[in-house]
Amino acid sequence: MPKKFSFLLALAVTLGLPLLLHSGSLASEVLIYALAAMGCNLLLGYTGLLSFGQGIFFGLGSYTIAILLTRLQCPMPLALLAAVTAGSLGAAMVGWVAIRQRGTYFVMLTLAFAQMFYFVAYTASGLTGGDNGLLDVPRPALLNTPWKYYAFVAAIFLLAFAVLQRVTESIFGRTLLAIRDNEDRAAAVGYSIKRFKLLAFVISGAVTGLAGGLHAMMTGIAPLSNAEYHTSEMILVITVIGGTGNLFASVLGSAFYVLLADWLSTLWPRWLLLLGLLLIGVSISMQRGLWGLAESAWHRVFRKTPPAPAAAQGEQA
Amino acid sequence: MSVYLLQTINGIGIGMLYFLLAVGLSIVFGLLRFVNFAHGAFYLLGAYLCFQAMQWGLDFWLALVLVPLCVGALGWLAEKLLLRRVYAKAHEFHILVTVGLALVVQETVVVLWGPLGNNVPTPELLQGVVMWGAFIYPKYRLFVIGFTALLAVLLWWVLEGTRLGSAVRAGSESTETVSLLGIDVFRVFSLVFALGAATAALAGVLAAPIRGAEPFMGIEALGVAFVVVVVGGLGSFGGALVGGLLIGIVQSLMSTIWPQGASLMVYVAMAAVLLLRPHGLLGRKG
Repeated sequence: MPKKFSFLLALAVTLGLPLLLHSGSLASEVLIYALAAMGCNLLLGYTGLLSFGQGIFFGLGSYTIAILLTRLQCPMPLALLAAVTAGSLGAAMVGWVAIRQRGTYFVMLTLAFAQMFYFVAYTASGLTGGDNGLLDVPRPALLNTPWKYYAFVAAIFLLAFAVLQRVTESIFGRTLLAIRDNEDRAAAVGYSIKRFKLLAFVISGAVTGLAGGLHAMMTGIAPLSNAEYHTSEMILVITVIGGTGNLFASVLGSAFYVLLADWLSTLWPRWLLLLGLLLIGVSISMQRGLWGLAESAWHRVFRKTPPAPAAAQGEQA
Repeated sequence: MSVYLLQTINGIGIGMLYFLLAVGLSIVFGLLRFVNFAHGAFYLLGAYLCFQAMQWGLDFWLALVLVPLCVGALGWLAEKLLLRRVYAKAHEFHILVTVGLALVVQETVVVLWGPLGNNVPTPELLQGVVMWGAFIYPKYRLFVIGFTALLAVLLWWVLEGTRLGSAVRAGSESTETVSLLGIDVFRVFSLVFALGAATAALAGVLAAPIRGAEPFMGIEALGVAFVVVVVGGLGSFGGALVGGLLIGIVQSLMSTIWPQGASLMVYVAMAAVLLLRPHGLLGRKG
């Protein structure tokens, strides 16, 4: 796919959301979870690492910005930068231990770390507010309406998208793909697998921390639930539904999930039951997520040859 | 009697339940090669079906036999109808389908029984305490320790001494070879998934009189089972036992020493084990 095309699609989404949605917060949420899912996608789709611990970095980001804004009256851009840093530091720590393992053991480790972080956040109530979370996270006066805040989120989202696009298309990104497709061979060629995986983790953590920080400012709270199992689960589910291996797929996944969840939750308080059924349906019927679906539809309409499946599939967890 | 001794015995009881949870997860993983995120949901279902059976005035002992059979059957069906369709797909879809299943079970439980927790009575025969001199201990908890120890022996025999067990162990090494030897691998898959679901449900039934039944115990149990498997070593029966006991005892002791941090210390223990032995206590490298 042409390099610019993905970015144009992302730009179209940021411009289209205000036209389609009534709520600025909902639109911001789509982009925030798209950021988090792109971070997850970098690990799952580009490096072949299925991380169930993305909630850690999301939670770190939201706690960091909440603490800095409410207790230290830190300037907002600085606090957001700190959230990014906290996310990447957390990712470096989790990654350092987790990447020594492969496959299922890796998945379990990341989930165990996610649970550990939850209990740390729960226990350190002096810092995190424990069960109540941190309340009254302020937003600068300039961003005081939902749509103004959306414009801010959209600008950051586009910037992050462009940066991640550059990362995935760089030699570094290509090397990650090589690791995903055949770790042993990449090692044999002389790449330091661990260093690449760790760096991928750090970048992923930074983006996810950013998303967490933006989320805390949007809702005005940094709740304990941002550090819960469900956040990790949600980020991973969005990423898989969207499809892996292409950044825009995560935006698609986020829009689908956030809007669907918003709609379902108005229908029935137990909407998670419907979501569960949907997840089962999706995993049985889809091969490569929404993006794969869109791609095959595109090729059918324009009668081109379908892409080689190897280009979009990561085999190893 | 010393409170620490008491808590250690409590820990052994909890730890044996954790073992039961983890061993199912571990054998399912060993053979089917994916993490079953619905494992906690089977445990949840076990506890709630036990609660329902009591509500209907059924005997606890009947529930102890029937509930695992029902949940096992459900697991068998889930494997046949859902999981079998995703084996050929990428790993993330295996996880997605079990995550979906877990959500469906959890929310169905809330729809049927409400979002609040329920108490489950201790069976009449096991109410009260045992007294041997200075040693005083609840009968039910002693029963749990004895019964799970018996189950552990039984499970070990199933895995080591039966034809199904050899198929499972061989299949964990190489599914292709086993199917080339003329064994219907998919039948073994269904049976193992059913067995995993049944053991989780059994743990749920046994835990219900101790901790009651509430909708979010499934996720909690899933987290603990992962920790036990990670600590003990993936795919190791002994590891699940040692890991389960270690985690159970740590949690139990810490709940006297530092109640707010008891759950946290479980994860600290895990981190400590991982730093010393990256593949778990009894895990094999690679």
